Amino acid sequence: MSILELKSLSKCFGGLRAVDDFTLTLAEGSLNALVGPNGCGKSTLFNLITGLMRPDAGKIQFKGQNITGWPPHKIARLGIGRKFQVPAIFEELSLRENLIIAARKNEQRAAIDNILEQINLSNEAHMLAGELAHGQKQWLEIGLLLAQAPSLILLDEPTAGMTAAETHATAELITRINRERSMTVLVIEHDMGFIEHLACPLHVMSKGQILKSGNFKVIRNDSEVKALYFGQSEAMPDA
Amino acid sequence: MRSNLLALLVFAALAAAPILIGGYWTGQLTTYLVYGLLAMSLSLVWGYGGILCFGQAMFFGIGGYIMAVLTKGMILPELTSSYLGLIAAMAGSALFALALGYFLFAGRGISGAYLAIITLAMALVLERLMNNWYALGGYNGLLNVPPIKLTFFGASFELWDRMPTFYAVLAVVALVYLLVSWLLNSTYGLKLTANRTHPDRLASLGYNVLIIRLSVFALSAAIAGLAGAIFVTLDGFASPTLIGFTLSTEALIWVAIGGKEMLLAAFLGAILTRTAESWLSEIFGDYWILILGIAFMISVVLLPKGLLATPLEKLTQGKGRKSR
Repeated sequence: MSILELKSLSKCFGGLRAVDDFTLTLAEGSLNALVGPNGCGKSTLFNLITGLMRPDAGKIQFKGQNITGWPPHKIARLGIGRKFQVPAIFEELSLRENLIIAARKNEQRAAIDNILEQINLSNEAHMLAGELAHGQKQWLEIGLLLAQAPSLILLDEPTAGMTAAETHATAELITRINRERSMTVLVIEHDMGFIEHLACPLHVMSKGQILKSGNFKVIRNDSEVKALYFGQSEAMPDA
Repeated sequence: MRSNLLALLVFAALAAAPILIGGYWTGQLTTYLVYGLLAMSLSLVWGYGGILCFGQAMFFGIGGYIMAVLTKGMILPELTSSYLGLIAAMAGSALFALALGYFLFAGRGISGAYLAIITLAMALVLERLMNNWYALGGYNGLLNVPPIKLTFFGASFELWDRMPTFYAVLAVVALVYLLVSWLLNSTYGLKLTANRTHPDRLASLGYNVLIIRLSVFALSAAIAGLAGAIFVTLDGFASPTLIGFTLSTEALIWVAIGGKEMLLAAFLGAILTRTAESWLSEIFGDYWILILGIAFMISVVLLPKGLLATPLEKLTQGKGRKSR
């Protein structure tokens, strides 16, 4: 069963078609990755899904409801959580306070200690979020999503600025969230090592559209994708 | 805990002050308490809510005029209850803030300098309006506003003498301080901080930031309206200067000097700046405003958290609690 359906979404900024007739369906409980060069429209796509921007055309269907043009808080309440590209946490609040805000409803608050443990920040619970190291901020933001407990989470470059070990641990955490909590996950990432570790279907985005979909091996050996990342194929004569 | 102790000390000192300073200064201090209430309302909306309202006096003035009109019996001659006046003043200011706030925050949401300019312009417009609204006294304002009449169980008592008036006003101010502090320490306070620093994140967690902004704007306006309503009963008249540019900017200066992110510091900022003004203007005449200007600049450039809030925060912070 599908949880999210994007149908022919488009969004222009002036003359630039950031998202162009984009169509994608996510199955409930699935884990998917979206890759593509900078400026190909990935973050804009997330802004459209979460309601921070309105699409110029197209339809967004979540859990069978048409949520196109809904305000962000309503979309969030229906069950979409998002991790921003730059860690978006409340730096002036403590970690625990951050999670209290994210939990919103009282019954989820009991789970806060549990979440702190999962994101490996139990000892920092009373620290201000602004005092965390960069990688820890990324984790705290994932913790906010766990506290929010949505059914679909959108992760925008969750491992940016992380060390190799942290990246590895993050990949473990995300696959665990996907399996154990049965949350549907869509992740944007540049780090190919990370994506390989996730071992999930991959969608390559270029100029606002999906260029190719498939598993990691197929995508890695695809000539069009190679051209997208390493240069124009027309410019390189076939050897 | 320590900040509660500090607040207790401040209010105890204020309660003891009339013994030391005599009748005239007690009267002055009563007025300063009311300005302190206005400063608290601005600290709430600006320091905690992140909404830089450059026209906070408009709510003060609206509250003042509503109180004057009602207690003078200009609308309903039989219904001149002070309680009703105070409640109507708060409600009127809050409703005005809701309407203005909806216009400002809904849709794309106006913030920062634009918001400051629009609120400043609103205050100027209202000041103009009151200057020319002859049914409400126009330029001269409304005279002979009666003092607050307290009635309990049939017995009534007019706040006419300095001492009872001082203590009644102090009680109201302390009560408002207590309620607002309690509110800021609740989850609502967390939401305000979250909304101030990262509204997009808060919305993405399922919060309607419009409601949060409107609520703090209206609450702050209600407190300013209460201050204005008390103020007109002390002076006995309501005039267009209560609503306009000068008082709005003065309030900003008090709060900036005191410290916008600390309710108690903002409150003390108003009282101390006003007291300093009285003393310094006797010695230096109009030049005292230069001293105020320098204090303001020091506060903005060197101690952006406020001249008072910086030392007070050091005092109140135990070893365990981190810096903000």
